Parts: sequence; C-alpha cells; structure tokens
Amino acid sequence: MDNLKGKLISRRKVIKIGAIASTALALGIFPGRIVKADASSDAPKNPKQLGFKYDQEKCIGCRVCQAACKDANEWEEGTEWRHVLTGKSGNFLSISCNHCDKPACATVCPVKAYTKRDEDGIVIQDREKCVGCKYCMYACPYHAPQFSYDTGRISKCHFCFERQENGEKPACVHRCPTGALTYGELTTIQKSKGAVSQLEGLPNPELTKPSLIIIPKA
Amino acid sequence: MHWHWLIVIYLFLGGLGAGAYLTSFAAEKGWLGKNSSLSRVGYFIAAPVVAFGTILLVFDLGQGLTKPWLLIRLLANFSSVMTWGVYILSAFIMVGLLKGYFAFTNKTAPNIISWAGAFLALATGAYTGLLLSVIGAVPFWNSGLMPILFVTSALSTGLSVTALLAPWVEKNFKEGREGEAHVYLIGAELIIVAIFFGMMNSGVYGPVGKESAALVISGVYSLVFWGYFIGLGLLFPLVIFTRQYLHSKQSEKQLAKEPSLAAKESSEAVQKGHHSYLTIVTDISVIVGGFALRAIIILAALPIWDGVTIP
Repeated sequence: MDNLKGKLISRRKVIKIGAIASTALALGIFPGRIVKADASSDAPKNPKQLGFKYDQEKCIGCRVCQAACKDANEWEEGTEWRHVLTGKSGNFLSISCNHCDKPACATVCPVKAYTKRDEDGIVIQDREKCVGCKYCMYACPYHAPQFSYDTGRISKCHFCFERQENGEKPACVHRCPTGALTYGELTTIQKSKGAVSQLEGLPNPELTKPSLIIIPKA
Repeated sequence: MHWHWLIVIYLFLGGLGAGAYLTSFAAEKGWLGKNSSLSRVGYFIAAPVVAFGTILLVFDLGQGLTKPWLLIRLLANFSSVMTWGVYILSAFIMVGLLKGYFAFTNKTAPNIISWAGAFLALATGAYTGLLLSVIGAVPFWNSGLMPILFVTSALSTGLSVTALLAPWVEKNFKEGREGEAHVYLIGAELIIVAIFFGMMNSGVYGPVGKESAALVISGVYSLVFWGYFIGLGLLFPLVIFTRQYLHSKQSEKQLAKEPSLAAKESSEAVQKGHHSYLTIVTDISVIVGGFALRAIIILAALPIWDGVTIP
C-alpha cells in the first residue's frame, strides 16, 4: 500500500498540479484592474463629446431636475433616468447616464440597441430593439440603464437629444433653479475650476470614461 | 442583482451539456480506458440539455414572450459576448444533435463533426464563464479565472451525469478510467476555487470583490458555499473517487500478481462496488455542487458602486 501511494503522487503529478496552480494565478491577475484614478483632464476621443457638469456647491437638493426629466421623458413604470443622491455629510449628487467615452452598455448589448452618436457622443438606447436581457445593467457602473417590469425593457437618459436638436437645453438643465446642473462640450467643462471626474466611492472613471464633471464642495 | 434562478439554471445546463459531450468524446477517443461505456450517453443528452437551458433563457428576457421576433437581433453585436454565445450555442446544439443521431444509430460520425462538436462544447463551457468575466463593473466576476473555473466544473458535472446515466442505457456497462478522471477534475477545481477566492478575499479585485467573497465565505451564502459546493460538490466526491481509484488500482495489481480465482472474485467485487448506491449518490453530489457554484457566482455579484452611496 505504501509503495502504491508513493507511485500515485509521482513527481510528474506534482509538477502538473503546480502548473495548473500557477496558470490559474496568472489568469486571475491578468486583466489589469489596478487602474489609477486621475483628474478629469483626459480628453475624450470625440472632441465634440457633450457632458453634464454638476456643481455640488450650488445644488440645494430640490430634485427639480428629476421631476423635469420625468415630465419630459415620460419614464416607464419603475425606471428613474436621473437620481439625486444624498451623502452622509448632507452633500448631493444629481446623476444620470454619463454618455461615456467607452460605453460598456453599448459593448455588451447583444442586439445593438445602443448607439453612440458621432456628432456629439450622446449614447442613445433604442427601447424598440431591447430584448430585456439586463446584461447592460451589470455592465454600467452608474446604474444608468433602467429596467421596467411593466414593459419588460430597458430605457435610459438620452440627453434630451430631440430637445437639443430643436435648440433647447436638456429638461433637467433647463429647469435647475440654481444653475448647479449645466452641460457643454466635455473639453470645455473639464477646464472649470475644481473639476473632477470622480467622487470617493464612485466607480473609477477609467472603467468607462464618463462624460460627467463634478465640482465638489470645498 | 438583476439575474436570478433562470440564469443560474441556464449557465449550469450549458456547462452540463458541454461536459457531457466532452465526456463521451473522451471515452470515444479511448482517453477513459479501453471500450469505455461512456462513449454514447453524453452525446445523447448534450444538445437537448443545452437547448433546454437556452429555452429557459428566453423566458428570462423581458421581451422573450411578448415580442419574440426581436430575438433575431441577438446575432447583431459582435462586440457582445452574449452575441458570441448565441452563435456558439446555436452551432453546438445543431452539431450536438447530429452527433447524437450518429451515436444513437451506432453509425460512425465523420471525424470533422465529432471534433467540431468537441470544440463547440469547449466554447460553450468557456462562454458561460466569459459572459461574466468581461463585466468590469462587477468585480466578483471580472476575473480571467472565471471561464477556467466554469469549464472545469462543466467537465466534472458532465462526467458525472454521463456516468450516472450510462449504466441504465448501456447493456454491458463496464467501468473505465472515469474514477481517475473525476479525481483529477475535482482536484483541479479545488485548486482553482482556492486561488479564486483567495485572490478575491485578499482584495486584489478591489473592496467590492472582497465584499462579494465575504458574502460567500462567511455571509448569507456560506451554507451553500461550504455545504453544497465545497462539501457535497468537491470534498465528498474527492474522497469517494480517490478511495475507489486506489482500490481498483490495488485489485488490478493483485490480479496481475496472482491470477487466482479468489483475486479475480475480489476484483469483480470492486468493479461491482462502482455501480453501487454510493457511486450514484456521489455523482448526484457532484452535479448538485456544480449547480451551487453557478448560484453562488450569480447571487453574490455586487456592483462596483451601489448607485446610492456618495461621500
């Protein structure tokens, strides 16, 4: 029996197991996830990329942006295209789709319901094409794609592209009473004083390169 | 958490069917010993099992039953791993059915069909893991190990389901080297799982990956993890199959040394023992463990940001 055991765990097997283990270890590490957070100065691929600018100092948390969006875009039951979040210190953040430079939703959507427009970088989701697989809900780090159990499909902020085409501002920006929420070409708003692209605890902007500029409360 | 049990079952069945095909493929090639009895049953069940899982997936789609014509566009986005999956699964189901037909009628299938099926089976198993591993916003999934883990589990559960069904289907069932294959697969899976959770838990995948790992190792899913997956799915079968493997090795030796009647009888007893209730229970245990793994991976997926918390 002893002799048998000695044979069962031969040197070759030990090497084999070692090879499996080290391959596994290497594969676990490879997709470079240790990405550095950096300032908002990263230029988008598209120089005409539009983005939202949110000034934390000016926001009073009235949620009119949310209501304006809901009115203008007739949110489907159970969806919220824009959120106003409250932090522990009483700070707010108004956030919707960030029309990312690298939109993960568009990459993973199997039916190509998402398109990123060449003219302004707006990411538009066509709900008529959506099959409701919810893959984009996992892919988007900002919870922008919203699923309605009522209609069985995803919808999300489209930057009021139709209003913009008619020369109007996006509904949320238009109705913000304090000017906390504005928008513009990303390369321009990135130059605002104190602009950052990430708050602590929010996803690393390297993941999708969001077109959102935040001016945090000093 | 947007995906639930239907997706868990779909991922599990995708792996099970792929593993069953590869088991019969290995048996047919003689890799599981001479005249292995596992060379047909895996082919019979592979395509139907994967097809059934795919049908379940349709029920999970928001538009699966209301606007099914939209599903044709699932073939549209070549940058989406899900689109790759639709191609891989469709191809595997077709080739698998063809190969199953050849196996059922005891005809020899053209080599190209057998190999194409084996390649697609491997792709199916890997796809179920790759689907998750490309999601950067879910740190628990975002590991290159995911496809490897899923393929290993697919092979292990596929071997078990084939070994479980073969004695009923095949008249002269004969034990091959499947016990040995079981030991290697489960051993490999244990190593991969240890490295995966070790890395998750040490924070290599960020604080949220660590949080997910904690849910599994010591949180709400710890019973499913330690009990169903590690205990029933890996350790228990590892002990049983290793024991059987050692016994059969020993009796083989005995038989070679003194080919007496008594030794022959004892060798036959060992052989018989392999089709015992214990083997059946162990194979079922492996399959339950494979299912528990898919459930844990889907249910413990936390987003990189919860969408609510700001400083």
